[in-house]
Amino acid sequence: MPTIKLDGREIPFEKGDTIIRAAWRQGLEIPHYCWHPGLSVAANCRMCLVEIERPGGRQMMLDVLNWDAEKGDYVPSKKPKLEPACQVECLENMNVKSESSAFVSDARKHVQEYLLLNHPVDCPICDQAGECKLQDYWLQSQRAPKRMHDEIVHKPKGVSFGPTIVYDAERCIVCTRCVRFMDEIAKDPVLDKRERGNLGEIVLSPGRQLEGKYTMMVDHVCPVGALTTKDFRFKSRVWFLRKVETVCPGCATGCNAWLDYDPRTGEVPRLRPRDNQAVNQFWMCDDGILTHKRVQSGRVVTATVGRGKDRKAVTPSAALKAAAELLKGAKSVGAVLSAQRSTEDNFTLAHIAKTFLGVGELHLASLGTWDGDAILRDADQNPNTRGATLAAGGAVHPIGELTEPVVGGQVGVVVALGGPVDLDDVTAGALGRAKLIVFSDAETALTKMADVVLPIASWAEQDGSFVNRQGTEQKFVAGPKPIGDALPGWDALVRLAKQAGHPLDWKRIKDVRKAMGGAAARPSTQPTAPEAPPAE
Amino acid sequence: MLQPQKIISRNYELPESWTLATFEKAGGYQAIRKALQMEPAKIIDEMKAANIRGRGGAGFPMGVKWSFMRPHPTKPAYLVVNADEGEPGTHKDRTIMERDPHSLIEGCMIGAYAIGAHVAYIYVRDELHLAKKRLWDAIHDARAKGYLGNRPFGAKDYPLEVHVHTGGGAYICGEETSLLNSLEGKRGEPRFKPPFPAQVGAFGCPTTVNNVESIAAAGPVLLMGGAEFSKLSRLHALNDGGSRLYGVNGHVEKPGTWEFNCGPTMNELIEHAGGVSKGRKIKCVIPGGSSTPVLLPGELFHAPDDKSPLHEWHGKSVFDVPMGVDTMRTAGSMLGTCCLTVIAEGTCMVRVAQNLARFYKHESCGQCTPCREGTAWILRIFDKIENGQGELRELDQVADIASGIVGNTICAFGEGAAGPALTFVKKFRAEFVAHIEAKGCPSKGSIL
Repeated sequence: MPTIKLDGREIPFEKGDTIIRAAWRQGLEIPHYCWHPGLSVAANCRMCLVEIERPGGRQMMLDVLNWDAEKGDYVPSKKPKLEPACQVECLENMNVKSESSAFVSDARKHVQEYLLLNHPVDCPICDQAGECKLQDYWLQSQRAPKRMHDEIVHKPKGVSFGPTIVYDAERCIVCTRCVRFMDEIAKDPVLDKRERGNLGEIVLSPGRQLEGKYTMMVDHVCPVGALTTKDFRFKSRVWFLRKVETVCPGCATGCNAWLDYDPRTGEVPRLRPRDNQAVNQFWMCDDGILTHKRVQSGRVVTATVGRGKDRKAVTPSAALKAAAELLKGAKSVGAVLSAQRSTEDNFTLAHIAKTFLGVGELHLASLGTWDGDAILRDADQNPNTRGATLAAGGAVHPIGELTEPVVGGQVGVVVALGGPVDLDDVTAGALGRAKLIVFSDAETALTKMADVVLPIASWAEQDGSFVNRQGTEQKFVAGPKPIGDALPGWDALVRLAKQAGHPLDWKRIKDVRKAMGGAAARPSTQPTAPEAPPAE
Repeated sequence: MLQPQKIISRNYELPESWTLATFEKAGGYQAIRKALQMEPAKIIDEMKAANIRGRGGAGFPMGVKWSFMRPHPTKPAYLVVNADEGEPGTHKDRTIMERDPHSLIEGCMIGAYAIGAHVAYIYVRDELHLAKKRLWDAIHDARAKGYLGNRPFGAKDYPLEVHVHTGGGAYICGEETSLLNSLEGKRGEPRFKPPFPAQVGAFGCPTTVNNVESIAAAGPVLLMGGAEFSKLSRLHALNDGGSRLYGVNGHVEKPGTWEFNCGPTMNELIEHAGGVSKGRKIKCVIPGGSSTPVLLPGELFHAPDDKSPLHEWHGKSVFDVPMGVDTMRTAGSMLGTCCLTVIAEGTCMVRVAQNLARFYKHESCGQCTPCREGTAWILRIFDKIENGQGELRELDQVADIASGIVGNTICAFGEGAAGPALTFVKKFRAEFVAHIEAKGCPSKGSIL
């Protein structure tokens, strides 16, 4: 592979790579604002200026003047013509100086000061603080107060761009990442720039709002605090949050994400996209980002026994006992897997059902289809249809097919994994005739008619994996502790088995995964540094 | 005494010089007839021999620029004429468009044919209403006669069309890639290079962008012969050939635009313009539009290397050196558009600097950071100094702010704005300091 030298270090590059991209592939960051690996090059922030020596080429030198306070005179000096690393393509044996060039440091210091010249520096009330490029690079390159002491240029603040986004023009550095995102990725060029010079700001197309399925991404492409989501705005300081790797449970695409949670309260105030070139590149849709709401709202918090008015909160062990009693008295048992739950949970239920409860045919509960698109969203809004099917070790039948055996009396007790589910009236009516044991994280149509409900952890609170539409197994990691009495789904199921007299020695998630063995052991693509540039 | 030349401006004094009849009577549309019989490469050779240094300000040889054009397998080529003459202190291109539009149309046809284009766009500054009208009239007349169209002059099967495009109202659209964006209906912001317009220009196709005056010279050059044209110049040996339009404005008795063989000195031009007005002394001259650094009569031309062709003028006042692309660069400024702005003694240079800084702040497109913020910061400081609120600390910062712009921007606007600011504070520092100490303009802000 051909290489360039960056600060004396050999960096391999692929044909067509710019300097900044080649460095980025190696995990090296050349400071930048406007460049984004998934968007076109704008080269407008000028933060990534580097000194380039081309093999056999001569460096262009420019004349500048400096004021020498000691001499009391202007002294001429020369500096090399710097070039943006985001724009210049790598050439074999190019020698690039970034951190090692005093001219580059000087240029960055200048750019940094220019960017903050009319910036309100309202970090104490800015949601971006703590993850703001302006702060990071100020520490790296400037570390000095700005020299202009006058009133800054004032611009519109707190502008609502639509149902999801708020814009602050004073914080904006007009890097146009948001404009390019809406243009190139969301395919809805609703944002543009108006005015000239230092009056420039981002505006909406006349008569439009920033709306659609991909609006919240503009917050994530914005390197500063100019664009914030109404969802996360003023919710938390980012330094109070911890992050774990997660996978969006919103649809079968399985976008990779960061789950940000507050360890003090267990709240999950947001999801952020995490790069994975093979799955979602750098992006997520609004519905996916908003799945963080599932962690706090509509949850089953305590175990219950009894239906309708008779439903009463009990301890988990009491509920397990009640469930075990139901199973013991049953002639025949049905089991319902869930396309919303992890492969491990589904495997555990399938294993217990087939090994101990004599269940022949497994059924699957899921949500119906929604509006998929060609960008990210899959029409199947279940994250794990494929994983649940694989966990079953054979065919699974839609939950609707359970109607006949229940009505016919062949199945008297049904054990179901919960999670959001769509049930038609016929199926719901039929299932109501059976004794129903539901393990669920959320209040759903199933929990409402269950005889025994056991709370289980949401995907955010337990380790697990989904198999996405591409057949890729993607692991996710537990963030906050499970809410209320909830346990990881597989754990609760193992306890039920034990209570019913069928002990299993699965104590940790890895015991489940070991037992799964061949059932779902496909290579897991843990998102790492991207391997290929994003599709054009 | 300078003798005005009559090549580019040959028709200026003719009655109704802008009409097709006058133009043809004076021998118009002969050059294009000749060109259509020639190999395009031969035409480019003539232009190279003519040593036409781009008349828009950058001074790049036009013939060489044309030779960069390579036929694209699928895409058409375009000729784009930059008629967005908006540099403060520049007033030459409009005379061609207003007084001899057909010579520009003829030049467009020659240029388009030479570079393999069938369409030429003339991007005219919005405010030049008369120029636009006369160009459109000229195009309509030429088309009615069959000069423009599918078979120019009924002779050759080489379709040629010329269109006038009204500018978007921004100085930055005079920067060639910004102009191309504007031409395409986009925001007038410069593109980064490479790719250069010769590879990816208007509508993504190979494009040559030339100044009005450069293109208007194409006809006379073809008739006269490139080498002959070049030899007219006093700076022929420096590959700076032919004749061109020179303007003088500011504090002179008779401001105007005239054509001379390349290489008059600034003193000669000022004399031709009737000398400094009201018998005052010269304070300084902005030699070629507001983005060219200001020169003082006391400055000496510095070319100590006796092997250099520029050595001839070593030690002379820069006002006595022939104005050419290379000589003015050596003098520490730029030739620019060859329109001198003469500033007489008694003028407040802080006011001048503030005035120009205001222009650059207003016209910075705001695309890239150093120019967007730097130009506005410099204006702030000049404003404060002029208004008596300035501090010495801030004056000392100007050089650093300007140095942070130079070389760090997408287009040359940065240098165009920072260069003059740097030279103003360097060459007139005493005046700035006096403003700061007197807390205002000692001369009551007079710009006269």
